[in-house]
Amino acid sequence: MTRRQRWTWLLSVGALIAGFALLAAACGSKSSSNANNNTTSSASSGGGTAQNKPFANFRLAYDTGIDFLDPGLSYTVEGWAIMWNTYLPLLGYKHVNGPDGATLVPYLAKDLPKVSSDGKTYTFTLRKGLKYSDGTPVKATDFRATIERDYKLDSPGVGFFGNIVGATQFSKTKKGHLTGITANDKTGAITIKLTQAQGDFQNILATEFSALVPAATPAKDQSTSPIPSTGPYMIQSYKPNRQAIVVRNPQWKSNKGTGITDVPDGNPDRMTIDILGDDGVALTRTLRGQDDYDFHQPPPDRLNTLQSKYSNQTKVYTPANTYYFFMNTRLKPFSDLRVRQAVNYAINRQALVRIYGGLANPTENILPPTYPSYKKHALYPYNLSKAKQLVQQSGMKGTSVTVWNHDRGSDPKATAYLTDVLNSIGFKAKEKIINSSVYWTTVGNQATKAQIGFADWFQDYPHPLDWFDVLLNGTRITQTHNNNYSNFDNKAINAKIASLKKQPKLSSQVNSQWAALDQQVMSQAAWAPFINRQFVDTFNSDIDLSCYINHVLYQFDFATICHK
Amino acid sequence: MAQPAAETEFTLDTAAELAADESGAVIRGRSPWYLAWRRLRRNYVAFACLALFVLIVVVCALAPVYARHVAHTGPNNTHVLDQITVNGQRIDVVSKGGVLNGKLVASTPVGPEWFAAGGRYVLGADTLGRDIAVRLLYGGRTSLIVGIVSSLICVVVAGILALLAGFYGGWLDFVITRFFDLFYAFPVILLGIALGAALAINGVHWGPIKLNSGNILIPTLVISYVLIPYVGRPLRGQVLSLRQKEFVEAAIAQGANPLRIMFGELLPNVASSILVFFTLIIANNIVLEAALSFLGAGVQPPTASWGTLISDGQTLIVTRPWFAIMPGLAIVLTVLALNVFGDGLRDALDPRAKVKIEH
Repeated sequence: MTRRQRWTWLLSVGALIAGFALLAAACGSKSSSNANNNTTSSASSGGGTAQNKPFANFRLAYDTGIDFLDPGLSYTVEGWAIMWNTYLPLLGYKHVNGPDGATLVPYLAKDLPKVSSDGKTYTFTLRKGLKYSDGTPVKATDFRATIERDYKLDSPGVGFFGNIVGATQFSKTKKGHLTGITANDKTGAITIKLTQAQGDFQNILATEFSALVPAATPAKDQSTSPIPSTGPYMIQSYKPNRQAIVVRNPQWKSNKGTGITDVPDGNPDRMTIDILGDDGVALTRTLRGQDDYDFHQPPPDRLNTLQSKYSNQTKVYTPANTYYFFMNTRLKPFSDLRVRQAVNYAINRQALVRIYGGLANPTENILPPTYPSYKKHALYPYNLSKAKQLVQQSGMKGTSVTVWNHDRGSDPKATAYLTDVLNSIGFKAKEKIINSSVYWTTVGNQATKAQIGFADWFQDYPHPLDWFDVLLNGTRITQTHNNNYSNFDNKAINAKIASLKKQPKLSSQVNSQWAALDQQVMSQAAWAPFINRQFVDTFNSDIDLSCYINHVLYQFDFATICHK
Repeated sequence: MAQPAAETEFTLDTAAELAADESGAVIRGRSPWYLAWRRLRRNYVAFACLALFVLIVVVCALAPVYARHVAHTGPNNTHVLDQITVNGQRIDVVSKGGVLNGKLVASTPVGPEWFAAGGRYVLGADTLGRDIAVRLLYGGRTSLIVGIVSSLICVVVAGILALLAGFYGGWLDFVITRFFDLFYAFPVILLGIALGAALAINGVHWGPIKLNSGNILIPTLVISYVLIPYVGRPLRGQVLSLRQKEFVEAAIAQGANPLRIMFGELLPNVASSILVFFTLIIANNIVLEAALSFLGAGVQPPTASWGTLISDGQTLIVTRPWFAIMPGLAIVLTVLALNVFGDGLRDALDPRAKVKIEH
């Protein structure tokens, strides 16, 4: 090396050091924050309704959790939050804050259904003059085609429709028609016959799996070729992991003219949904005004700054949710009850609360505390030595375990913690982290043979059946798009779910039976529930939060927000 | 100019040799390796960088000792609810956070405690309460192992392919060269991400070869695989040129078999280039490993590597910037040390450098 080359190297090193020093100084100055500021973040309050204040474009910093943008396939909060205002079912919910948001109202149906005295027959009339966003008329037979398409897609929602007459046969053949659904395009009459009464069936008809799509829609994922919609908005384009654009449905005025009163027009003319992987980047973009809303959860270490500088731009809320670790009861070592119990004893739920930045409450229940059926139980107090003892007794010590999770937000940290715990009680555990957009379909596929992993659940509708029947009923286990990740199949519990399913209303007696079932399921350690999480919505300073609606099921209603 | 004695080899290595030559002194014959060593040891900057690299390797190799006797924790052990004593006060390793009296309160792990916590959390903790210093050292072990082993595999495979293509020529050369061209067509990082992401999810199951998704051999093999053409192609050029030299013709005329010619005659003549490539490509591979791990296509969690540590530190970049800067700095120092040393080695081994010295 010549003298000149040496000087060049030395100067390069000097420049690098100077660069790092500047970077450190820049970052250091941002870290100073004041936790004792007087401003307060506010929780959503009840009673708010949509205001009419249109504006051009609402920019969302979205996370990577969209699985599909096809109403027959999507089963994530991210997917449904977008589709709630695009694909309308026969029934739906009021776009309001608070418990009133769980009130069922007619959307595409003229009225709420007429239910026969035995609770087995539901009769609707479709509104006249409805059109899809491409101008095609909406027909009554589209409803039947929609449910049949769900079956043809192997949709994660097909379990909801298993009680319709002929569903079992149709699920096998996927040919002909579902005999339990009859529809008349001339009169708009739709009749659904069930094999037995079902307390939550109207709620099921309000899910996105029941949202009407044209009968000719191909029975394959249409996320990137958006299906024509019936709601105030339509999806213009979707590029997975990059961007989705939602614009106004040109047919909406005419559809609304048919008498739909409980779906607001929406304020933004367009919603630009940018999909970002990093929580910190999304927060910074929103606070700097590059985006209007941050769907991500802020990094826990930045809450002080949010509180001190941006408290009037945040909303804290607690949706009905349970975060849990599933344990596949069909695979070793979790086929052994003692191992599943050991995991429940070994995880310190307070530690997991802290991993989520303190924005959570520890839980051992299946149901969240917002339910009248919730009755707190404490079967598994933290006891590491007991956990080790149970693993020793099971003879599964030293078994290799793969812990599954997606790569979004704080969730991978929960898996890192669980992996450490599993290693500490005698397993050889390692993590498997995959992209969040494919996570649920991957672990929901039996071929994956996922042993244990992260899961969370947000209610589709406020009924215990949405938890026990969807997630823990052994008769609803499927080969693909399975929601019962634990493959939990207990005959007594299946029978109890079937019996409670027939109850038309959630009386206090029925609620106490659900609470007992919660304890019964946890005595079998089907899951290791750990927290009920709290969330923060962050907006930029141009957004008028007097329009903010946080729906009890769909959370923040993008369409009703307005600018200052 | 006086001619050197017949039995001596004149190398024009240094001014001293020139002076000796002019004075008619007898100069002993020396091997090219010895001469390269002589040139290298006078390059103090390269030697300082070699020393720095060796120091980094030794420090990382001692990670288990540090973890056991100083930090008292392993690289993947979580301590979310633990407390430590700093200057006589008990503090949480990870503060509580959440909503307190209606206000949002941040949850942050402890920052660098240096030696105030009795050797624990010298560089602070991450959000799971894992000791950053321990993970930095273990991460260094992983990054160095991946870097060195992948470079070794890369130069061995590339060297063999270059020898085969250069010596035999014809259709074999055509096939190997097209293989190199095919890989050249893809940007290294994209090819690495594609292969790394696919194999990181499913692992490798090729007949008897079974590697689980978390195995560090996967990123090691991916990195070595994508860089083979970048080493193989220039080496093939050198072999092609050497193939026409008289000593190769002479060996063929004497009836030496192809293996003997490739490994006995050609390989020693490209060995210096291979050595330089090896040194320089380690640095390159460390950076590539960091890039792939940062993007989730390299070393899989919870195994620490400098790349995964930067990725972990990214989530705390605003309040704890050092968590990302530390592994970044470790990469910079290691790569800088290897590149400067590699340049020095090339100057010492490359014949063109000798000409420069003559000037």
